[in-house]
Amino acid sequence: MPASDPRYLEKKMTLKLVAALAVSLATLALQSRADVIKVGVIAPMSGPFSVVGQTWEGATKAYQKLNGTTAGGHTIEVIYRDLPDINPAQAKALAQELIIKEGAQYIAGLYFTPDTLAVAALAQEAKVPVVIFNASTSSLLERSDYLLRTSYTLPQMAVPVAKYALEKNVKNVVSLVSDFGPGLDAEKAFNTAFVAGGGKLLEAIRAPLKTTDFGPLMQRVKALKPDALYVFGPGGPATYAMIKAYNEAGLKAAGVRFLGTGETDEDQLRAIGPELLGIETGMFYSATHNSPLNNAAVKALAEVAPKAIPTVQLANAYDGLHVIYHMVKATDGKRDGPKALAAAKGFSWESPRGPVKIDPASREFVQNVYMRVVEKDSSGRFVNREFRTFEMQPDYGRIQGAAK
Amino acid sequence: MSFALLSSILIDGVTYAMILFMITVGLSMTMGLMRVVNLAHGAFAMLGGFLAASIPQRLGVPIGLGFVLAIAVVALLAVIFERTLLRRFYRRDDLDQMLVTIGLMFVATAAVNLMFGSSVTSVALPEAFIGSVDLGFRSIPRHRLIVVACGLLVVVVLWLAVDRSSFGIRVRAAVDNAPIARAIGIDTTKIYAATFAIGAALAALGGIAGAEMLPMEPTYASKYLVILLAVVAVGGNGNLFGSFFAALLLGIVETSMKYMVPQLASAAFFLTMIVVLLFRPQGLFGRQA
Amino acid sequence: MSAVIPPMAMAAASRTHPWKHLRAEIVLTLAGLLAFVLFPQDLGLLTNMATVSIFALSLSLVLGQAGIATLGQAALYGTGAYVAGWTALYLTADPVVGLLLGGLGGGLIALLSGAVMLRSTNLTLVMLTIAVAQLLLELANWARWLTGGDDGLAGFEVAPLFGIWEFNFMGHTGYFYALGALVLVYFLVRNLVESPFGLTARAIRQDPGRVQALGGRVYLHLLAVYTIGGVVAGLAGALTAQTSKVANLFMLDFTTSAGVVVMIVLGGTRRLSGAVLGTVAYMTIHHIASTLNPYHWLFVIGSMLIFVLIVLPEGLVGLLDRAAAYARRLGGKEGTR
Repeated sequence: MPASDPRYLEKKMTLKLVAALAVSLATLALQSRADVIKVGVIAPMSGPFSVVGQTWEGATKAYQKLNGTTAGGHTIEVIYRDLPDINPAQAKALAQELIIKEGAQYIAGLYFTPDTLAVAALAQEAKVPVVIFNASTSSLLERSDYLLRTSYTLPQMAVPVAKYALEKNVKNVVSLVSDFGPGLDAEKAFNTAFVAGGGKLLEAIRAPLKTTDFGPLMQRVKALKPDALYVFGPGGPATYAMIKAYNEAGLKAAGVRFLGTGETDEDQLRAIGPELLGIETGMFYSATHNSPLNNAAVKALAEVAPKAIPTVQLANAYDGLHVIYHMVKATDGKRDGPKALAAAKGFSWESPRGPVKIDPASREFVQNVYMRVVEKDSSGRFVNREFRTFEMQPDYGRIQGAAK
Repeated sequence: MSFALLSSILIDGVTYAMILFMITVGLSMTMGLMRVVNLAHGAFAMLGGFLAASIPQRLGVPIGLGFVLAIAVVALLAVIFERTLLRRFYRRDDLDQMLVTIGLMFVATAAVNLMFGSSVTSVALPEAFIGSVDLGFRSIPRHRLIVVACGLLVVVVLWLAVDRSSFGIRVRAAVDNAPIARAIGIDTTKIYAATFAIGAALAALGGIAGAEMLPMEPTYASKYLVILLAVVAVGGNGNLFGSFFAALLLGIVETSMKYMVPQLASAAFFLTMIVVLLFRPQGLFGRQA
Repeated sequence: MSAVIPPMAMAAASRTHPWKHLRAEIVLTLAGLLAFVLFPQDLGLLTNMATVSIFALSLSLVLGQAGIATLGQAALYGTGAYVAGWTALYLTADPVVGLLLGGLGGGLIALLSGAVMLRSTNLTLVMLTIAVAQLLLELANWARWLTGGDDGLAGFEVAPLFGIWEFNFMGHTGYFYALGALVLVYFLVRNLVESPFGLTARAIRQDPGRVQALGGRVYLHLLAVYTIGGVVAGLAGALTAQTSKVANLFMLDFTTSAGVVVMIVLGGTRRLSGAVLGTVAYMTIHHIASTLNPYHWLFVIGSMLIFVLIVLPEGLVGLLDRAAAYARRLGGKEGTR
């Protein structure tokens, strides 16, 4: 019979299946008996987001420098795999490789939501805990019981900013977000909270993701004459263009307050510089957060990875590895997904960003949100100075969604 | 439609169009003249921008001089590329030409990434270009007016050069019928190299001038490739005014949508392109194949 | 030119050794099985190689055989992926149904867009294919409620293959599913290419005017080829969605189209085997380069592309041909081929 005949394939398949299954399981068993616990991080190491991968790699190295490379007597080895863009099939293949070939007990990293979705399906089957270092869509954690996150969600950031705006007597607002998942999350959360607090939404503008010329949009904002402009940009060239357009349109002079979220992240501060002065944002981490732990972490990062920038990704990866250390201790280095997750739920600790906690029911990451303003420090560097703290903010995406 | 809105669309649309024109005119000329599809053309604009951002600092020269040097370097690189690599592909089919230039684009992107990092790099402008001009109903950044002036200047200069000069006559002869042109003593090799270099230099100028609207980053070349090709296709190969009007058409369409329905701006751009190409496959001003 | 000769040689061979007809498919199956045995822990990568190979085959048919210049094949690939996802979500989790519907989806979009675009040629056609793919992407992004927008379409289950073999995280079923599909599709496409239909397509690529003069209906023929190419690309997309359980916008992107073009160039555009060879080579090199030093991948792929175009214009298949010819000269057995 020809080789493409399913019956022929079936015979070959069963035999090979059994053999391969035996080999794989044996390898797995072997590796979990060894004292090295591998953590597989899927990160953008090359391509346009390589800055993120670099910071994550630096952050995990810095963590291990400050906290040692063992947890509960087991050596923790962090290995990286490159996923430069959105490619769920590749994400899944990498996760599979990390779990099956490398024997990783924990998967971490993941910058984009579609990639995370692919890994979530895998994690659920394999019962492997996954700690998300970035992907910020609220509903992600529902995709698998084994997902944790040490980054943030947009609603979590947007609601405190809305509260701040109301505190500052902002009566009406225009929101301008990039037309993609996080942008839409931010828009909805901010506007809902702002309007609920008595404010007026003049217009919700959505800019296509590829927009690099915000001139027209800023002119439109100017014509609407709001008290404040709430913005969410995806970082990189779009944010750069947005800030420039805001300044060029004379909006600051016209008294339109700029309220943002992640636009003034440390790498943007370095790339854009003076145009960002005076901009207020609500975010969960600033490199100049004045705590001994943060100072030590930033210093350690500079030592192990001099080229890496201490952005929010430093806090994300640092905390992510901390949770993994905790889970390793709780399971005594054994492969036990449910036990690890049980230990992570309700876990609270001091992070470089401030106090943090993993919600015991929803596994959501609860943290402080700070209002910061961009200033020049004594050495002439541009920094985000925290001036107001909203404590232990939950994921409002969940709450606002449930209220409907 | 209010006067303010209309004039805003015109000003921003024309600025965007001038940038597109300056970057793509070289590509159009190359395609018309040498029938070579150079997908790495955006890389010339990108290199121009990055060099302009770094030369003034690194060499300590005034910004204006830095810009000129950047453009010169890009022109030189273009000549080198044309002589060593592109030349071998003149007789190969379109696909192979496109692919070797895609390969070059990858290499250029990687090189820029290595030398300048992967974030956005801003091009510092000379003092004279910074600031805004207040027109009453809105203010325009001064440098946008300069970009428009630049674009118009380029059109005029190119038109004079192509239509009036002896160089232009030789270029047009080489376009129309290369073998005969060679037979009467026109050195097509030098013409190709010169045209390619001029096209690259113009792209670099466009990249530098447009760095505010199209920020400099390593993925610049691939990101705007499709837009650049669209302008060339709509304008028709090898046609100066084709490039100019195509840029104006597409630029103004996209800008007006940005003001009115921002989410459809990109779609409007491509729809315009499709409509034009379906009715006039050779482009607005192109010659029938 | 060499593409015209094998069918006759094949026809002669089949009378004496029927299995020689299926040479390519047998080699493919054996290679797939060997890969499974040698690399049982890399099944994720191998499965992706199989699905992308099918995508490459569609492009090899459309571009390599019929000469339709397209940089928008991802539109059909992505369509297949979303259709498979919707099938699993709203209709049935049976993978084969999703696969077939995905193929049909790709074919339908190809038919509709091809009908409009194929009257144009060369650069105009390329630009139109890019524009159509871009518009489809914008549409998919806008219809968040249907496609999940940039988050992607996920959360669909894939039922056991033929009701027997479960898809689990070990990846065995996924791999054989993809491999089986690849071998089957290769068989079908190869037969198409070697038939008079395929011959006409190649003739059109070489000289459409002459075919027209001989009474052939160029436009309709190209449309048929493009539609079939769309079906194959749709199948590839459906497979990808089913094995990774996510369909997303990037599958419709220009970069995805361009990436596959690079793969078939590496392998050799004029032959179907080039599509598979190029895909495997590209993805293997990417995998190795990534693990060694991910930061310089673009350098590697850019230089490789330039190198292949200058030194090996017929791609890796050309290299293998030369090696085989050399071996034959040394062996001195068969005279005519």
